[in-house]
Amino acid sequence: MFEEILEFLILGLVLGGIYAMFAVGLTLIFGVLDIVNVAHGEFLAIGGYALYIAMVVLGLPAAVGLVVAPVAVFVLGLAVYPLLFAPLQKRLGRRAPGPLFLVLTLGLSALLQNSLLAIAGGEFLSVPPAVKGGLDLSFTYISGQRLLILAVAGASLGLLFLFLRFHRQGMAIRAVAQNPAAAQSVGIPLGRIFTLTIALACGLAGLAGALIAPLFSVYPAVGFTLTIKAFAITILGGMGNLLGALVASLIIATLEALSVIVIPSEWQNAIAFGTMILVLLVRPQGLFGKKP
Amino acid sequence: MLSVQGVSAGYGRLEILHKVALDVAPGEIVGIIGPNGAGKSTLLKTIFGYLPPFEGTVTFENQTLQGRSPDQVMRRGIGYVAQAGGIFADMSVHENLVLGGYSLKSARAVNAAIEKIYAQFPRFRDRSRQRAGSLSGGEQRALAVARTLVISPRLIILDEPSAALSPRLIEEIYGTLADLNRSGIALLIVEQNVRRILDSAHRVVVLDMGRNAFAGSSDELRRSDRIRRLYLGEDAG
Repeated sequence: MFEEILEFLILGLVLGGIYAMFAVGLTLIFGVLDIVNVAHGEFLAIGGYALYIAMVVLGLPAAVGLVVAPVAVFVLGLAVYPLLFAPLQKRLGRRAPGPLFLVLTLGLSALLQNSLLAIAGGEFLSVPPAVKGGLDLSFTYISGQRLLILAVAGASLGLLFLFLRFHRQGMAIRAVAQNPAAAQSVGIPLGRIFTLTIALACGLAGLAGALIAPLFSVYPAVGFTLTIKAFAITILGGMGNLLGALVASLIIATLEALSVIVIPSEWQNAIAFGTMILVLLVRPQGLFGKKP
Repeated sequence: MLSVQGVSAGYGRLEILHKVALDVAPGEIVGIIGPNGAGKSTLLKTIFGYLPPFEGTVTFENQTLQGRSPDQVMRRGIGYVAQAGGIFADMSVHENLVLGGYSLKSARAVNAAIEKIYAQFPRFRDRSRQRAGSLSGGEQRALAVARTLVISPRLIILDEPSAALSPRLIEEIYGTLADLNRSGIALLIVEQNVRRILDSAHRVVVLDMGRNAFAGSSDELRRSDRIRRLYLGEDAG
């Protein structure tokens, strides 16, 4: 029993790493721009397709694919603010109503999903794992791909936190999240920081998409369920709180993995949303959020 | 150095300022006073680029400011201290100062400027790692002023530096402002505390209902019966 729990804990940790790369980005966008990006899952899907093109179509090594995919999605993410959000903000003023942006990103999500469907077709494309072999512990076997996910998720999130903590642009991102007017008064151009924030979050989602591609295949809607789940995670962690999103990702993923032992796997998805509803009723500001 | 000519501005379609004019000469302290709702803060926000003027011109050292965003205005050498909450509360005192130098490209220049600020405000060196939001109201205001100094501004715009401070802290912040002015920095200050600003400002502009109501030296304002009655209370004299 103990070994079984340990096995599922490791699976939960791997899944938690993916959730975190996704939810931290979503939270970053919300914290800085006050926008819930419903299209975030599609950037994850594009990351998977980018890896597919790099590895399967072009025959490049996995390591190259894992660099190209997030960079490609980062570059695509650079276009989101200037082409979509900025024009709407300009027309409606800085205090454009939030629901409009929600609908805008929902539209973007549908557009991207349909574009992927039109270009790549609806079939599930499989990508070979980036790492062969695995680690044979006495009680369980962890595939190399899962170990890679753990390492890359840890490293990329660690780098993101270091960037936000110490780098000039990272500090500017935090400054804009805290106090946009004061940020402008010290010379921080809001538009550039908004653009960078979305691109970083998209790049992280793209990397997550490339990492899970060998496990879940690549298809247009691969990210959409994750988007919905990430909402539950961000609410559990506290809206806009990055550390909260990280911890909540690990909690939800571990709960999901462990729940398989006691409840049927069809109920697995209900864990995140059950937890979200419970948190909203008991502690609406989330685990790490400040009281409203 | 700063010239505001015929500026009308407001929020959305609501016009709050009607053809306001104002000048600040190098090294000068100019106070803006007037009743609540006169448009004082709106004028500062318009000068600094938070609000685009409907009409009129704003120039600084002969360069046009209107149509520029606040981050572009500050790069011309203008500091801005908001009425309250102008700091990054969840960041350390040191991080606030580092961000004050965001527009400077060289990290060495930022560090040198911060060293100078620590020499001028030793209490910030002692508290450099403290969360800025945990400082007292007066210290937060002083930090907001100190943060503008990182880029060596030639003009600092302040929105009610005395608001919500005790008389002792008001004297402290005005002492700091007097020091800055002696070092050559011009100041444009919106103030509700009329007596305090009359003691510090070389010139005062009175706004009323979004229009220029008076402009002159502090002494001239003190001598004007009507202005005294309206803005200093009946007992003035």
